[in-house]
Parts: sequence; C-alpha cells; structure tokens
Amino acid sequence: MIPRARIDIRPFACPLTWVKTRIALERLAEGEALEVLLAEGEPLENLPRSAAEEGHRLLAAEPAPAEGPGAWRIVLVKGAPREEGI
Amino acid sequence: MALSERRIARHARQLLLPGMGEAGQERLLAARVRVVGAGPVAGPALLYLAAAGVGTLWVDDPDPSSEADAGAWIHPPDGWGRPRSAAAVEAVREVSDLVEVGVARPGARPTAVLVAGAAQEVARAVAEEARLLGLPHVVADADGEGGAVTVVPVGAPCYACAFRAGHGAEATPAATAQVGALAALEMVLLVSGSVQEPAARRIEVVRGQPVARATLRLPGCACAGVAARLAP
Amino acid sequence: MSGLSGKSVLVIGAGGLGGPALLALGAAGVGRLVLCDDDAVETSNLNRQPLFGEADLGARKAAAAARRLSRLYPRIRVEALDRRFDAAGAVGLAGSCDVLVDGSDNFETKFLASDAAVVAERPLVHGGVLRYTAQLLTVMPGRTGCLRCLFEEPPPPGAVPSCAEAGVLGALAGFAGALMAAEALRLLAGEPGAYAGRLLVYEARPARTRIVLVRVRSGCPSCQQRLGLLGGPVGPACEVESSRERGGRP
Repeated sequence: MIPRARIDIRPFACPLTWVKTRIALERLAEGEALEVLLAEGEPLENLPRSAAEEGHRLLAAEPAPAEGPGAWRIVLVKGAPREEGI
Repeated sequence: MALSERRIARHARQLLLPGMGEAGQERLLAARVRVVGAGPVAGPALLYLAAAGVGTLWVDDPDPSSEADAGAWIHPPDGWGRPRSAAAVEAVREVSDLVEVGVARPGARPTAVLVAGAAQEVARAVAEEARLLGLPHVVADADGEGGAVTVVPVGAPCYACAFRAGHGAEATPAATAQVGALAALEMVLLVSGSVQEPAARRIEVVRGQPVARATLRLPGCACAGVAARLAP
Repeated sequence: MSGLSGKSVLVIGAGGLGGPALLALGAAGVGRLVLCDDDAVETSNLNRQPLFGEADLGARKAAAAARRLSRLYPRIRVEALDRRFDAAGAVGLAGSCDVLVDGSDNFETKFLASDAAVVAERPLVHGGVLRYTAQLLTVMPGRTGCLRCLFEEPPPPGAVPSCAEAGVLGALAGFAGALMAAEALRLLAGEPGAYAGRLLVYEARPARTRIVLVRVRSGCPSCQQRLGLLGGPVGPACEVESSRERGGRP
C-alpha cells in the first residue's frame, strides 16, 4: 500500500510525537496509510500502541538506516472513526 | 484555519482527547466568548478558557477590583482599585499570548456567552439577551460552599426555566473556583463539539458532589419559540 | 477564616491539580502552604496549569508557584520545595502539616502519599484526572481505607496511560483541584470529609457522578503495618472498623 502521507516526527518530544501523528491520521480517510519516520526507543515502543488503542492498524515497521542513525519507518492504516458519543 | 505549530505544541495534551483533535481545537480557536463578570467566578473561568485555546475573549465588568476579589486568582492586592476587566485582560495575557483578549466593547459579536458570578437580575438579563441572539451560553452561580452551572445550547430550555434558588449565601473562594472551572469546562465541551449532542443541563455542586440534571422547559416559557424556529 | 491562619496544608505537585488547589487554599487564608514539585514549566503544561504563564516557561515550578502565590496572597507563608516527594522525606513532610493534598501525576507518588499519610496519621485528599474523568478520595488513617485498600497495588506500567500519553482537559483538572481544596478546608475545620472512604468519580461529558465505597481492606499492607505499630489489632479488626463506619454491627 502506498502511503497517502508521510511525516517525520524525530524532531519532536513526547507528547508531540503522538499528537502530530494523530493530527496527520485525522486528515486521512479511513483505510488510507500514513508513513511515520521515528526514532527507536520510547517513540517506537509507544506510538504503535497508542495508534492501536485508537483503532488504527500497524501495517509495517522496519529500521530505516538510510534516514539516519536509529531511524525506523512504520506505516499506519487509519481505522474506522470511533463512536465518540457519551 | 489550520493550527499553527505553536498552538499544536501549546494544546498537545488537549488535542489527544477523544472527540477533540484538530477539528475541535479549531472550533475553539474560531470561538469568540463574551465573559460577563471579572470577579472570583470569572477568574478561574477566564484562565481555563484561555488555556483551552478559545480564540477570542471579551471581558465585560464595569466595577473596580477590591478585597472581595482576593479569591479570584487574577487580582493581586497591589492592583486593587483598578477596573476589574482591565486587570482580567492582563491576567489572561500572562497565561497566553495566543488568545485575542480585550475589554468588551459595543459592536463586538460573540459566538457564545459565559455569565460568571453575576447578580441574579444581571444573569437573567444577559442570558435572555444571549438566547434572543441565538447564542449558546453558560451561566455560573456560586452559592455558599457550592453553586450551579447551567448550560444552554441553542434552542435549549432557558436559564430562567432551569433556575432554582440557592441559599443566597456568600460564596467561599473554593466554591467560586469550583463553579468557575466547571463553567469553563462546560463551555469548552459546548464549543469544541466534542460531545455529539450538546447537553442542556444544570450541574449543581453540593458538598463536593456534582449533581447534574437535564433542564426542562417550563410550560408557556418564551424560550419554546426559539426552539421551534431553529428546529431542522 | 482566622482559624485557618494557624493551619498548614502540604500540596504534592503544583501542576494541573496542585495549581488550582493551591490557588483556592491561599484564597481561603490557610496560613502555611507547603508545596513540593521538582519539574520545570513546559509549553504543554500551559493548557491546564493556571499558576504559570508565558513568562514562566523554563522556570522551576516550585519557584514560579511561590512567586505567584506570594503576589496574590501576601499574608500567607509559602514554602516551595523544589524536589520530588520521595520516600526519604515523605513522612517528615506529612507530619509537619495538618492535611495532605495529593496532586501528583503518577501512581508511585500517589501510593507513597497514601502510605505517608497513614504512618504520619494525617488526612489525605487524593485526586486524579485523565481525559474526561476526575476522581477524588479522602483517606482518614485508622478510620477509612487508604489507596492500597482500593487498589491492591499500582497498575503495571503501560496499563494506564500516563498523563504524558493521554489527553487532559485543563478545566476539568481545575474543577477537581478546587474540589480537593474544598475538601481540605472541610477537614481543617474538623468537619467530616465528603470523600472520606468514598471514591467520587466524575465523568465530564455525561456529567455523571459515581460513588464507590472504600472500606479498609484486611490484608492491606499499609493499614496493617500502622495498626501493628500502634500495638492494636490487625487483619480482621479492619473489617470491624469498617462495619462500625457503616453503622452496622461488627
């Protein structure tokens, strides 16, 4: 699947890492993919889980040494909008 | 109107809330809230509205500050005697330089109104004016050790319908803070659209316990007319 | 009001919950406020921490809080401790104040606060906010359950999102902080706490309030230890204590 959009969240610190990702996902339609460049360690450990909790799917995760030391590339597929009612 | 990097960073924790996101935050940015009152109930309300990212705030209060405002969070003793609204505007600017804040002036067109700790006659008059203008509004009344916050989305039962008399006791600083913060909370929920169906409700805080009831229209109240006009 | 000038309250954390609590307690005229926070003011704090403004970015929270509180309430004494509320100092700090208000944002500190309150025999007002939910509980050592009676142990890391990962609504934290201050003031006046042995859970979107009774749990390591130290009964006696609270027969 070719990602619809791509973001690099390595310059940001928590909580902006997840916030930026979430905003990028918000702008996609359901089923579209977002490629995220992030750093190994805390962002790599927490981001996919936060995304899964909101109903998005992790399609791929692989090291991306060409982008820089410690860089990883993950692909998230936007899930169905959640029932946001009370 | 996309959010700037600065706003995203400022409101990061709020953007993460379910039902908020960029869309909700943008609605807050587009909102222009007129706050009637600049005393102990308005102080916390103004700070939290600014902190939440409401785009424009107008403060409407003609009185000077005094020792009675010591519990307002925004009136240090070294400023007592100055107009309350001007001091409130300064206090909001200290908290955020991203909000457009000023003393209310004629010609200002708010999109929502918050009545914070006003005397009953004033609260009723302002609420009625807001209702007639088709503006959603929140009325905060502190009373003794607690108080009540009445939420009136467009077309909902009006403040007068919902009103229930309290003791009429002088409000404590903890009570004004509770009611001010709760009013800001309800306004943020209303404006951001994070709730699908904005709830018309009155939340009373009694001995530290919030008790919420849906508001009901009193038979024959003029506010029924507005609902009929605005019904889809 | 004059009675309060001789009282002191320890507030753990000067952020989303501690901030409004301190502002309300100062406004009420509590004579001595002790606050404990080892953080610096960050941009993402400003959506919910009314003690701080733009000009405080980068400053130490303890110092910035002391400045703000002293300016608003020149007649009270503010002791701002720029350090973590940790095991070494917890009991001493707790014992030096009349009531504890816990506005910390992690379970480790919350449990430490509860343990310290039980050992130092001070009432503790516990509060927490996450997304659209706020909760409040007052621990009256020896009379009501403590945090360990309610949660047998801290949840494993990752089970509950920390504030850093999940959203927080500033005004809800403000509401909760003000409720915590009001509770502390009730306790200082010698009145029964509204949340003593009763966990109040408030969900902001439906505006729904739930109450969960918190009884002393037999086998609670914190309560047991304290009762043991006093030479009193342990274990089953906790149940006796709690049924008396409810007005029932032992």
